[in-house]
Amino acid sequence: MVHALARGGARSAGELGRHFRSAQPTISKHLKVLERAGLVERTIEGRVHRFRLRQKPLKDAERWIARQQAFWTGAVDQLDRLLQEVSRGES
Amino acid sequence: MSPEPTVAEVRRRLSAKPEMVFSAFADAHMVSRWLRPAPEIKLTVLAFDFRVGGAYRFAYHVPGGQVMIVNGIYRSIEPPSRIVFSWNIEPPDEHAGLQSEVIVAITPERDGCELHIRHAQLTQSGAVQRHSGGWRGALDQLAALLSNAAA
Repeated sequence: MVHALARGGARSAGELGRHFRSAQPTISKHLKVLERAGLVERTIEGRVHRFRLRQKPLKDAERWIARQQAFWTGAVDQLDRLLQEVSRGES
Repeated sequence: MSPEPTVAEVRRRLSAKPEMVFSAFADAHMVSRWLRPAPEIKLTVLAFDFRVGGAYRFAYHVPGGQVMIVNGIYRSIEPPSRIVFSWNIEPPDEHAGLQSEVIVAITPERDGCELHIRHAQLTQSGAVQRHSGGWRGALDQLAALLSNAAA
């Protein structure tokens, strides 16, 4: 569903239902979960509810992982070097 | 999409003994010499109370004058094989306020050990944090939806 939202911009629950060949209550339930999680936002135009993917939470999470991954990889490189220095100093 | 997207993980085979690697986490002077992402970033240990419930606080001095401060509490200490501590970046950093946890596992091997560092984000900021399990739950849902869509 996230892919469908990402491709098509704002979609109504009906459009998404046709896309996934699912009943609208099922789609609405999933959308509610995604909306609660902050991944999807809803705009209401008259009787039509449109849903749009919020990019920021996913991007934030990716940035955090990339940063911590780089942090620990760099730190372990230095730990490795330090341990080798220490063992050379002892021998 | 991975079911656990907010985990950073590093595994490394080291030629030092587990006790030696453990002491690199347990001693403030040792910590200051390596626990940083690059040699040009200097680490000042502001607080270091290495016992269960004890706090640490590290200041990272980035070239150019910027300072990043990280603090946390030692949750579990099992010499020489396992250390668990919380990891919080202080404001004004963009990732300030995210609760995360680092699990360090040191497994003896012939002529050394394997070091495994697993850093997991426990909750998401903002809207997601207000709904317990929201982030993980939503991603489980997403994974299920995407696999249904592919089927």
